[in-house]
Amino acid sequence: MLPLFCTLLTAQARAEESSTFTLSSAIKERIAKESGPIIRVSYHDVSNEFAPFIKKGVEKAATDFKADVKMVGPVGADAEKQVAEIESLIQKGVDGLAISSVSTDALAPVINRALAQGIPVVTYNTDNPTSKRLAFAGQDLVESGRIAGKLLAETLGGKGNVLITTLDAAAQWSLDREKGAREAFTKYPGIKVLATINTGTEPQQIYSSVENAMLAHPDVNGILSLECCSTPAAGNYVQRNGLTGKVKIVGFDMLPETIKLVQGNVISATIDQSPEKQSYEAVRLLLDVLKGQQVKSVDTGAVVYDSKNIGDYVIASKQGS
Amino acid sequence: MLSSIKPNRWQATPENPGGFQNMEQTAIHHGRHGLARRFFATFVARETGILLALLVICVLLSFATTGFLALRNLLNIGRQISLLGIMAIGMTFVLITREVDLSIGSIYAFSGLTTGILLVKGWLLIPALVVGLLIGAAIGFLNGLLSTYGKLPSFIATLGMLSVVRGGALLMTEGQPVTINTSQGGNPDVIDQFYFLGQGHLFNVVPMLLVIFIVVAIVAWFLLSRTVFGFRVYAVGGSEKAARLSGIQVFHTKILAFALMGSLSGFAGILSLAFLPSGQAGRTGVGLELDVIAAAIVGGASLSGGEGTILGTVLGVLIIGVLRNGLVLLGISPFWQTTVIGLVIIFAVALDKWTESRRLK
Repeated sequence: MLPLFCTLLTAQARAEESSTFTLSSAIKERIAKESGPIIRVSYHDVSNEFAPFIKKGVEKAATDFKADVKMVGPVGADAEKQVAEIESLIQKGVDGLAISSVSTDALAPVINRALAQGIPVVTYNTDNPTSKRLAFAGQDLVESGRIAGKLLAETLGGKGNVLITTLDAAAQWSLDREKGAREAFTKYPGIKVLATINTGTEPQQIYSSVENAMLAHPDVNGILSLECCSTPAAGNYVQRNGLTGKVKIVGFDMLPETIKLVQGNVISATIDQSPEKQSYEAVRLLLDVLKGQQVKSVDTGAVVYDSKNIGDYVIASKQGS
Repeated sequence: MLSSIKPNRWQATPENPGGFQNMEQTAIHHGRHGLARRFFATFVARETGILLALLVICVLLSFATTGFLALRNLLNIGRQISLLGIMAIGMTFVLITREVDLSIGSIYAFSGLTTGILLVKGWLLIPALVVGLLIGAAIGFLNGLLSTYGKLPSFIATLGMLSVVRGGALLMTEGQPVTINTSQGGNPDVIDQFYFLGQGHLFNVVPMLLVIFIVVAIVAWFLLSRTVFGFRVYAVGGSEKAARLSGIQVFHTKILAFALMGSLSGFAGILSLAFLPSGQAGRTGVGLELDVIAAAIVGGASLSGGEGTILGTVLGVLIIGVLRNGLVLLGISPFWQTTVIGLVIIFAVALDKWTESRRLK
């Protein structure tokens, strides 16, 4: 009861804060002079495989909305560097910030400081629920985990032993997706989750972790990967060890390796989180705030691709580039 | 040993046509008896200790788990440690000269991704491999220059290079993953050959990566214990001053060790892409330097120089590989695995220090 009460309280507090947010006079003046607004989109690791997708969305927003929009962020997920960069941006003067946080707790204070100074802040990709951010553009992570869990359970016919793999079992996004997946599995009493495997982020390490886990659990029928990068590793392992069809895989994201393995029916399905859309929508939200409109969070959705419809994605991404 | 050095040691004379070179050989000749005996005593004792530890771990695991001793599992461990092992061998040379190289994870990514990009563009296997290896060697050479003539501590020089090279790899790939395939003009036969290096099996049983690791280990063992270069490496790390006085070019020896380290890191990076056909500049090889240094140290190499052997390093790498595998087979939580491996490193080095004085008597 108490936690629920607290949640209600914070939700209320947040609603009040967002309604009391006022643009700084400096920004108002700049906008009035009709020079395109300056917006910075801070991504939590500009060197990971999503960064190019996020950047695509940022660049598209810059052309579509004729604004000065640029992607910034640390190389390697580093909270201190991200905070320092945002602080210097606040100092320099920006008209809006879109932030995907390395760590919720580390970034919340700087987000609140920017808001207090009248700079609008929205979050995207990775939300920062403890901050007073005005809105969030991204995937509902728990829901995406639920979708993935349900997909795998159905692919397995409601029965089987499952391993969950993740790059970082302790990260918030991973915990959220795992929670969703485990929730979905409870509806299928025949599904048993044997273990959650923390693979680490280095590619060889990821593969070795999957390999060791599979040897430790020879009775596995299904692998649920919670992110981009252990998905193709699980696919490669299954394919190389003649387990295609015997061990079903459901994973996330659209790396080239993943697409190939879905086309080859090694991976049963993968869930796209449209990262371009997340950064694009974040910029749109900020521009709406600058126009004086009230904004609401945007769910950028979760699209499921399997061997039947993955061709559409390949065609669409070729046209896009 | 030093008393045999004469004032004219640097000059070539009719009796001494090679100048100091000959003096160095005299030093090797003289040194073999005293030094070699001490080294022999030290390393035999040390390697037996590591070997015993490894055996104990293996025996425990074979009782505690069902799959550990299966041939397939053992070959898997062999494959899993091979890339770490190739780099740890290079690190052994660098550590013996009393230097350290922190940039190897970045070199691993840069070389591997470069070779990958060239293959995807349709280059032949050998030229693409050579370019990757040369990049590794060149970065190693630069590390060596900075740490010797540049007067920087290698810790700092290579820490800087870690960032510079990682940034270079990101710039080169624009953060996009590099995936080996034929869609952009890559030659299918060449890519098959490349895959064989990383994914193939000798006689359909032994993973090629393990074969390559064993070959590298044998060559390195020969280089370190049977050649003049190997002797110089030990001499430089044992006492730089004494080495210099006996005519050894300390800087050149160190630079060579760094270049060797660089090319081995590059080689491992190339092989990693041959095994997993996809790499990404932001993740490939990140943090490897710590695993590599840990393996070499567990194997008896010392951060204070002058100590270490190839056999020891191979055993050190095996201990880390067997532990990683065993802890998973035992079903121990991933967070505990990280902790246990850290404890083993501390314990191994502590044991070594505590027994050091006894061994050296």
